[in-house]
Amino acid sequence: MNKVIKKNLGGWLIMLPSIVLFIFFVWLPLASNVSLSLFETVGYTKVKFIGLDNYKAVLNDPVFVKAFMNTLKYTFWSILIGFAFPIFLALLLSEIIHLKGLFRTLIYFPNIVPGLAVVIMWKYLFNPEPHGTLNAILEVFHISPQIWLNSQNLVIPLIVLTMTWKGAGATTLIYLATIQGIDNTYYEASRIEGATLWQRIRHITLPHLIPTIRMLFILQIITVFQVFYEPLVMTSGGPNNSSISLLQLIYKYAYMREDPNGISKAAAIGVIVAIMLFILTFVYLKLTKEKE
Amino acid sequence: MKKYFSLLVILLVLVMMAGCKNNDKIKITIGMWPEPFMTDDVEMFNEWKRLFEEDYPQYEIEGKPYTYSVDTFFPMANNGTTPTVFQTWFTEPQKLIKNGFVKDITQPLKDLGWYDKMDPEMREALTHEEKVYGVPRDGYGLGLFINLSIFEEVGLVDDWNNDGVLDIVDQDGNPRYPETFAELKQTASYITQTEKTLYDKNVAGLVILSANNNGGWQFSNIAWNFGAELQKQNQDGTWVSNLNSPEAIEALTWIKEMKWEEETLPASASLTYGDWYNKVATGQAAMAFAGNDAISMPITNYNMNKDHVAFVPMPEGPNGEQYSLFGGTPYMFASQATDEQIKGALLFLEYMGRSPEMSEVSKQSMRVGMETAVAKGMPILPTIKPWINEDYLTYANLLEQQYVNVEMSNFQDFYDRFHDMRKAEEPYYTQDMYEILDACIQQVLTRETANPSALLASANAQFQTQYMSQINE
Repeated sequence: MNKVIKKNLGGWLIMLPSIVLFIFFVWLPLASNVSLSLFETVGYTKVKFIGLDNYKAVLNDPVFVKAFMNTLKYTFWSILIGFAFPIFLALLLSEIIHLKGLFRTLIYFPNIVPGLAVVIMWKYLFNPEPHGTLNAILEVFHISPQIWLNSQNLVIPLIVLTMTWKGAGATTLIYLATIQGIDNTYYEASRIEGATLWQRIRHITLPHLIPTIRMLFILQIITVFQVFYEPLVMTSGGPNNSSISLLQLIYKYAYMREDPNGISKAAAIGVIVAIMLFILTFVYLKLTKEKE
Repeated sequence: MKKYFSLLVILLVLVMMAGCKNNDKIKITIGMWPEPFMTDDVEMFNEWKRLFEEDYPQYEIEGKPYTYSVDTFFPMANNGTTPTVFQTWFTEPQKLIKNGFVKDITQPLKDLGWYDKMDPEMREALTHEEKVYGVPRDGYGLGLFINLSIFEEVGLVDDWNNDGVLDIVDQDGNPRYPETFAELKQTASYITQTEKTLYDKNVAGLVILSANNNGGWQFSNIAWNFGAELQKQNQDGTWVSNLNSPEAIEALTWIKEMKWEEETLPASASLTYGDWYNKVATGQAAMAFAGNDAISMPITNYNMNKDHVAFVPMPEGPNGEQYSLFGGTPYMFASQATDEQIKGALLFLEYMGRSPEMSEVSKQSMRVGMETAVAKGMPILPTIKPWINEDYLTYANLLEQQYVNVEMSNFQDFYDRFHDMRKAEEPYYTQDMYEILDACIQQVLTRETANPSALLASANAQFQTQYMSQINE
């Protein structure tokens, strides 16, 4: 061990600040959270070891089941609405010849708007009153007002739409950078062979995008699994908990409820979410590796 | 060079030591200190600080403006950076006490003679296992806030004495506001229909909040007035959940009818606290359930004309029951504060005019507080008093008579009847009960086919299993 360190002393010294910061800001809080979840707590102080009691309590909470199902719904809808869209936008941008910079900026623009401002703006747009922005537009077309976020079936897709509006630009740029990194000779050869646009996309662009798509797919699942402030601000988790997410439930346990073990129960849900994400990532990586 | 360097080091060390030198004063941080942009208030607090430090030179007051919120408070409490005294609201004490974030101040209160002067019901809300953890700033009661401009538009009120103020009572002193829930339904529905027919405007008759535990909070009061008791004690002394009594079901059905039959509630089913005054002040709604401590919100935040506002008692239920949910704003004290700091913080409350002591300095502060509020254009109304000693009540009432700047006939009924109507919140896991009731209200507001009886039965089972069963263990 000493030999290894001595041999690469320079490298270890360069890594040292990152390792220290990682231990301090990531691994210690993680370990502390796991430990907290196994105790009865008063505030953040551990009082008594109670094993898995906090886990049993949260798993028996009907709101947990609802939040878990909702989180899966968020993930499903985000893949359906938000996953292919940036790929499509990137392909479109890569084919544009004029004003490419302008379109790139416009597409990225929602990403620079602070997240809270975005959700507050969309909350106003989705105002279910007849004078709400979207309802007023619908009225022009003689369509009756919609209840938008008040619909228990529509609420999650609409929140995902908001998230996509904000986040798609950044993902598009990542895809676009990958597309622009593809060797131009492939395209030149395909043109000489008389390939159509669709054939170029199908046989050159998409195969080159696959590693990025794979990476962003799992990143998207991890990010959407942690959806928090969007439902908190737009619906407070309602109506009837139909948009509450697991992270929002953590917030409720930690800060809103009178439950004296609220903090450690919140920690327990945190651990459950982490385990779920670990399993999902592991299975996904395993499956895609086998395919390769 | 070396000599100069050594001198520089010594000088730096001396400067640092001087910086670290303790001035031996007991430091008290005041969380209710106004933000720097509120210049009038900062000036007032600085004067109180000056007077206090003159009289108690052993103390040093430090202003640390802090607006309580659960997500910032918990980490602050955990690392011991909470202000010595801070302001919160009556939903919080039990949670803060159970988490060990606030200090028991029973003994200092008794030493100062304040314990027995505190309103007993407010003291109860700040008490856990016979220990008191806070001092009430003031109280509130739920009532019905009315936008008189809308009432006038549909012909329900006028300015009969031509004093520029719309009148909620007629020449004979008879109320022109809904006094029962049946009348409230009728009035709200009439307003919505008339506004649509006459002016083609969409105006909600009534705002009932429905999210962030506000729905459960307001539903408690509605249900009580329908005769419900949401938590009850059995003969063997155990407490149980009672959310699905016939009276509570009737109350939830009333809300459902307001939504689907009368179509007089706002379209949104996730209305939080700020929404009621937004809707009422901007003419989107005619009435809202609200606390009397928030009457100024639509006036100061939306420039609503204070002469077009009335605040009246909660309506009476079908069986004659009529309550006003009662809560308030307390000051609480950091758990890490020393006994000396607690004593100093309590004494400083006297200099803010927030104690039962009727010293000259306290009276002067109460007066300055009123004058500052008047200068800011705030409506001055009676408050629900936190102290019950005669000298305090006499002086506070005298000040209010001098400074009240609204037409009291539009508010008088609420204040006259509040004392007999007031009822404290349900005793156990109140916020958790509100969270569960929120979901029931949202269901009836979003589904025309929702069954109030089934919803409350399920809510009752959940609340009993998850929470109430714990208190009887």
